[in-house]
Amino acid sequence: MDALVSKYAAEPELDIAEEDDDEVGTGLPQSVSFTLPPIDHPAKFLRAMTDDHANPSAPIKLKHGTTTLAFKFRGGVIVCTDSRATQGSWIASQTVKKVIEINPYLLGTMAGGAADCQYWLTYLGMECRLHQLRHKRLISVAAASKILANLVYSYKGMGLSMGTMLTGVGHGGVFGLYYVDSDGNRVEGNLFCVGSGATFAYGVLDRGYQWELTDEEALELGRRSILAATHRDAYSGGYINLYHIKEDGWVHHGFNDTNPIFWKQKLEKGEFQNVSTTLDA
Amino acid sequence: MGGFDFSNHTRNAALMAAGMPAPKATSTGTTIVGCLFDGGVVIAADTRATSGSIVADKNCEKLHYISPQIWCAGAGTAADTEFTTAIVSSNLELHALSTGRKPRVVTCMTMLKQHLFKYQGHIGAYLVVAGCDPTGSHLYTVHAHGSTDRLPYVTMGSGSLAAMSVFETQWKKGLDREAAVKLCSEAILSGIFNDLGSGSNVDVCVITPDKATLMRNYITPNVRAPKELQYKFEKGTTAVLQEKLISKDELRRYITVTELDAQGDSSLTTDVMQVDA
Amino acid sequence: MASSYMLPYAQQAPPSYAHPTEASQPRQHHWSPYTENGGVILGIAGKDYVILAGDTRSSEGYNINTRTARKVFSVGSGLILGVVGMSADGEELARKVTRKIDDYKRNHDKHITVSAAAVMLSRILYQKRFFPYYCQPLLGGLDENGVGAIYTYDYVGSFEREQSRAFGSAAALITPFLDNQINLKNQFVPGSNGEQPKQAGDLPRATVEKIVKDAFTSAVERQIEVGDGLQLVTITRAPPRTEEEADDDDWTGAAISVELSPLKKD
Repeated sequence: MDALVSKYAAEPELDIAEEDDDEVGTGLPQSVSFTLPPIDHPAKFLRAMTDDHANPSAPIKLKHGTTTLAFKFRGGVIVCTDSRATQGSWIASQTVKKVIEINPYLLGTMAGGAADCQYWLTYLGMECRLHQLRHKRLISVAAASKILANLVYSYKGMGLSMGTMLTGVGHGGVFGLYYVDSDGNRVEGNLFCVGSGATFAYGVLDRGYQWELTDEEALELGRRSILAATHRDAYSGGYINLYHIKEDGWVHHGFNDTNPIFWKQKLEKGEFQNVSTTLDA
Repeated sequence: MGGFDFSNHTRNAALMAAGMPAPKATSTGTTIVGCLFDGGVVIAADTRATSGSIVADKNCEKLHYISPQIWCAGAGTAADTEFTTAIVSSNLELHALSTGRKPRVVTCMTMLKQHLFKYQGHIGAYLVVAGCDPTGSHLYTVHAHGSTDRLPYVTMGSGSLAAMSVFETQWKKGLDREAAVKLCSEAILSGIFNDLGSGSNVDVCVITPDKATLMRNYITPNVRAPKELQYKFEKGTTAVLQEKLISKDELRRYITVTELDAQGDSSLTTDVMQVDA
Repeated sequence: MASSYMLPYAQQAPPSYAHPTEASQPRQHHWSPYTENGGVILGIAGKDYVILAGDTRSSEGYNINTRTARKVFSVGSGLILGVVGMSADGEELARKVTRKIDDYKRNHDKHITVSAAAVMLSRILYQKRFFPYYCQPLLGGLDENGVGAIYTYDYVGSFEREQSRAFGSAAALITPFLDNQINLKNQFVPGSNGEQPKQAGDLPRATVEKIVKDAFTSAVERQIEVGDGLQLVTITRAPPRTEEEADDDDWTGAAISVELSPLKKD
């Protein structure tokens, strides 16, 4: 059947990253028919079965915990995250990709429920592609973030958990940066940190931030802010994932282990004097 | 008797209400059994101690000494069985000394039940008491709340059902020593293999009017499987920030240093600790 | 499109008129659809192979339900799925995945790739976001280049491709061992004074198999819910097709073999 389809189908007009899989493309019908427990208050059931700070011994532990940041500056947008996923006090993974590549122009960050972010940002990618096909131009970040915000708002109270920054470059090379969460908030801004390590990241980021940063300075500031958060927040750590969004789309700047970065920062730049390297200090 | 300190009780109750989990006590799962025979009594136990679903001790001792002719098998909270039997052992010794008679099993059982009843089940000791005294051979069970039973064969702990099924199919009147030991070990084995709270080895204690014989690790059906690979780290594998060398002579001032040869035999020299002058 | 965001009727909040009292409302009894059946699964991906292993004990509390439960399933198209947690949900999930992989093959006239099956499994899990499957799945297979792939999931479908992963009641015991022996974490090249971390290379299958067996014999010692038997499933590249096999629709390029060996039963 595929052979037939490809024979008669035209090449796609825009060279946007294609889904390599048919199942992904047919995700829509599934997304609107979620199975619910056969009881009066499904949300209450989910709350009882899944963990949060008030219910640490629940049977189902979802992945949580994060530090993510994104900021606009003269050269575009910097997006930087850690890579740790925790289930309670257990480190479930040190290699999570918390920056979700929606398409070559749009990035979403992951905080809160990993599955919620992964699923709905992928779904958003589909909506953005449909918008592009319908209107023959890129979707604006404002519009994309609104699709997401309206979507999660329709599930309000059902137990979705996500705090995401949607950022990228839209039609006409306009940079956009929005914070969208599962409570229904949608805020535009120049600088955001999200997650359990956000306060630590803000400390470094606010200190070093200015609009006129060079690309190198901005990348370093993003990296250093996440490093500070991984150092003080037990729920953050692993690798530093760094992206730079320019007018023609995003560029990946590596997925690097925090440990050697920390020691380099300490031993070569003399920072982190709070950490002693001697036995008697 | 009973010098419990309750000064942290209110604080801990408040902490637990705020969501802090209570510290875990070791061992609730166990299989212990006992069986009378013509001329004595046998008790037996498995050797697994658990903390939740983790094995805390693979070869612990659940058969406790009370007096030369009275032994006790304990299930429930490890610390409670340990201390309850130790307290009763001490008091029974004093009692024997002041009366000038051999301690009786019924006395031991009474002391245990009175102690446990006083604490209304908060002391989580579940015991099988067995022994021989001038009145004969006896076998009792004592529950944490203070109730007792006197039976020809008994089982307790999480593996009690598995073990009892063995007794109920195989026990008969007038067993001899050999048959009783075999029956008890089989009951324990049934607990070891069918109850997740029980495991490892079988300990048996045979008590006759003239002596008690503890057979530690009577059966060892769960030997650790050999590893496929060796996991030795080459020297220098671990990163080191700073080194500080302490000479052997300096160490001798604080601890005993034993020289080992290449095979690990301590045949060469043994230095005695020198107390700091 | 907007209507597709609407929730089905059952999801809408029930209408509330007055202030209902506790007694006037229909009482919801404590309802617990989940049980934990214990066990552990372990997956390791190599350069041209995948190993997925699980113990064969299924328990409830202190009782063993069976000593011969399989936790690793062949789900068709040369892929394998390991499940641990609640065995009923795990088996249901395996059945569902098997059927969907078969559907895919019938609809597209080709075998599904691991990466596509990985996304599909994620969607299956997320479909039950509000009533999750109580099981953690590991999906294994050879990718388009014949390289081993393990996809790991949480309960509601977040997923990631990894080299090695343990799930289940002994995960906390096995994971540090895997980190150290497979990914060579905390190991440095001797003599480099902690400057040069050991690089995880392509471990030969024979070595990895031994590491897996050692992981299980160790887990059995300290975790009461693990034991009885070891089901070790391996995917390797199949030998090149012969003339007769050229039209064989079932040929996937992957060869799956299963090895069963005993573990301690206490």
